[in-house]
Amino acid sequence: MTDAHLDKVENAIRGLLDAEHVRRPRGREAPAARIIAEPRDSDQMAALVRQCESERTALAPLGAARTLGEIRRAPAMIGVSLARMDRIVTYEPEDMTVIAEAGMTLGALNRRLAEHGQRLPLDPSNPGATTLGALIGAAQAGPLRLSEGTARDLLIGLRFVGHEGRLVHGGGRVVKNVAGYDLMKVMTGSFGTLGIITEVAFKLRPIPEGYTIGLAPFARASDAFGAALRLYDAIPLVHVEVLSPALAARFGHPDVFLLMAAVAGSAGELEYQRRCFSGLGGAFFLDSVRAVETYEQLRDLEFAPAAIVAQLATAPAELARCVEGMGAEFRAHAASGVAQIFIGGEFDRPAQAVETLARWRGAAHAARGHLRLLAAAPALRSELDFFDQPPPGALKLMRRLKAAFDPAGIFNPGCFVGGI
Amino acid sequence: MENLAADSQSAAELPALAAELAEIVGADGVVSHLSELAVYECDGWTIAKSAPDLLVLPRTTAHVSGVLAALERRGIAFVPRGAGTGLSGGCLPVNAPVTVCTSRMNHIVACDLANRRVEVESGVVNINVTNAVKAAGYFYAPDPSSQAACTIGGNIAENSGGPHTLKYGVTTNHVLGVELVLAGGEVVELGGPADERLGYDLLGAVVGAEGTAGIVTRATLRILREPQSHRTLLAIFADVERATAAVSAIIAAGIIPGAIEMMDQLIIRAVEAAFKVGFPADAGAVLIVEIDGLEAGLGERAERIARIATEAGAVEVKLARDEGERALLWKARKRAFGAVGRLAPNYATQDGVVPRTRLPDILRVITMLSRHYNLAIGNVFHAGDGNIHPIVLYDERDPDQVRRAIEVGREILKACVEMGGSLTGEHGIGVEKQQEMPLLFAPEDLIVMSELRRVFDPTGHANPNKVIPQPGGCVEVAAPRRQAPL
Repeated sequence: MTDAHLDKVENAIRGLLDAEHVRRPRGREAPAARIIAEPRDSDQMAALVRQCESERTALAPLGAARTLGEIRRAPAMIGVSLARMDRIVTYEPEDMTVIAEAGMTLGALNRRLAEHGQRLPLDPSNPGATTLGALIGAAQAGPLRLSEGTARDLLIGLRFVGHEGRLVHGGGRVVKNVAGYDLMKVMTGSFGTLGIITEVAFKLRPIPEGYTIGLAPFARASDAFGAALRLYDAIPLVHVEVLSPALAARFGHPDVFLLMAAVAGSAGELEYQRRCFSGLGGAFFLDSVRAVETYEQLRDLEFAPAAIVAQLATAPAELARCVEGMGAEFRAHAASGVAQIFIGGEFDRPAQAVETLARWRGAAHAARGHLRLLAAAPALRSELDFFDQPPPGALKLMRRLKAAFDPAGIFNPGCFVGGI
Repeated sequence: MENLAADSQSAAELPALAAELAEIVGADGVVSHLSELAVYECDGWTIAKSAPDLLVLPRTTAHVSGVLAALERRGIAFVPRGAGTGLSGGCLPVNAPVTVCTSRMNHIVACDLANRRVEVESGVVNINVTNAVKAAGYFYAPDPSSQAACTIGGNIAENSGGPHTLKYGVTTNHVLGVELVLAGGEVVELGGPADERLGYDLLGAVVGAEGTAGIVTRATLRILREPQSHRTLLAIFADVERATAAVSAIIAAGIIPGAIEMMDQLIIRAVEAAFKVGFPADAGAVLIVEIDGLEAGLGERAERIARIATEAGAVEVKLARDEGERALLWKARKRAFGAVGRLAPNYATQDGVVPRTRLPDILRVITMLSRHYNLAIGNVFHAGDGNIHPIVLYDERDPDQVRRAIEVGREILKACVEMGGSLTGEHGIGVEKQQEMPLLFAPEDLIVMSELRRVFDPTGHANPNKVIPQPGGCVEVAAPRRQAPL
């Protein structure tokens, strides 16, 4: 990539956007894109998309690119930042719905919603640095997925800029709606490969009255998982995690598998639920302030510096055996069947990483689940497949979808399943 | 009504096709007698009727695959059908000679309680999923009022709802995986037992695609733990304005009930005449509010709801004292449509959505339209979701009343869209509302939706002429919508 070529691309799009909003990447943008474009609105975005299509220039929404920045092999030519599209469009507290531009961060949105005792209960790590576009684009979720669902359950409408610069919308701002095809599902978790999301509408949930976390240490992972599932069978947990020793240590419990289970409700409900922990032996509870701090620490856990971090998804009751067989550190959303698994330090040679990942994948597939790489050391990235391969029939449909929505192949190409 | 099902090219080869399909599914799996086919000429939307030329009743995925492959070789379109309880004409044949009915594929394949998953064939009746896991303390959440008859495959096609979707969500929130047979016969697996998608969420696009993606033959469903307990309240109001204000206030207080259902005066009187629930005859509106969860919290929450409703102007708030009283309230609600049948020879149920806070506005519009068109309109609906079901009373023997009933239905939908709502909350577009789609979606939206549709069905043979309006392809709505249980 010569500077001259970059200059040429940059100049071409400078005419479409306000000139000062086409620039070179800064800081963590660098592994994601070579040129950063910050359109003011969806019309500028549409012009940018048309230009990229005619020049066959790849572009990726920067939110997703940042997420993928951890694993992508080379930067995209143009990273589209939605930093200038970060407003709430409509918020009707009594409807418990909100429409916001995709460049707004989850943290900023939730600060605003909290004024009305509401929240968007999607909780990936670091909400202050997660845009709503990235949240949807990468289908990010956290501990609350157990009780509140994931992005696909809460997204009720969206707008995106598609090929030919089309301004497309699906769904709406009402909580129940079956008019037309569900474009929200198609865009959720599409990693910027089908278009650029500009606006999202969510249904919201109340912030619970009371909240606490019960903790219980276990010598064996299987006992911790067993306890988690038994507890979830008895009461409607808000979330329940099992942490391997390296992570448990960060909460002051070295050398154990730590069960962390949260309950919510009125004082009476909390009291009843606390009693349900008694069978665990050794469980103790945090006061409400410590509980919220601990939840945030749990949500924001960083797995780096790790050689590889992967996310495993299986049916919930299969998770324990699958995770145990992998012999790695983990944070498990124990009753959701989802866990982040990682190996710290460095591999002596890349082949070890390849072997490890293959072994993990084998275990995931044996449990009828799948596994995707969340992050890998830069030196390993060219050696590793980030996504599992979907079954052939499904993959064929996915390729058709990509071809239909992105015939010029410009939207974040080459980063998704099957090389899409 | 012209025969919508057949096109002349395929009609000529019917006997050969019937024989070929019988080879695949057995002789008892192909129906070609006109008298038997008449049963399949419509669903719960009875305005337009058109029997298929052939009905096929497969028993296995291999049957479905074989049938769709045979149809594709001849270039013949088909309609997937479950129990035929849909309310928007989704399984009405329109230029699709063959209907493939999944009713014989009615086995529950596996109940995996440890993982809270149930795997079913798509012809399994909705209520049977809950029945299979109830003893162990679990339930399948989507509960359309037709749940004793409708199939899981039909629910997936329509993304069905029900009264309890306010808290628990609709079908798409509870389907984890499907086995889908594409037009042409290819069998694909989408999703699976895990709660994360691998690649694009094509499963999410199939749910609610109204049978245009192909035929779902199996599904993996999520089941939930039965709540420990529940409380059911009846709140009586002088008018609908105060009742809807109470709905907003309850939800704004951070309470998400299992259900909040509303009935207006016309419905109250009809229901009271039929069931003697004890509604005051002069009540302007009633709310049925049901909360569920831990016993430890319900008493207090019920009191809060009663207080909020009273502050919003409720004349009286009653708590169902026992299971008998609760059952009576739900009977009144679920059979409201039948009760309305006493008031007029015919009635047409509409399905629209507005943002919750616009409920008073849409009800004012409906009152105004009722006067303007000189037709009585009752309201019974899922207030918590803003999902309205106005019931227009008319007499089909009077053509002018029929015309007015159709027009008033369209006007109500238009008003819903203008208030930021939707054309349908749970009944689907089908053939019924194709012409209204442009009220909600711009041409580019519809183009993209068509492109999505073609991803699954490039030849357009799976349930053609549905959902997206096509020039000349729509069924002209000549009579209003009829009785529709929710």
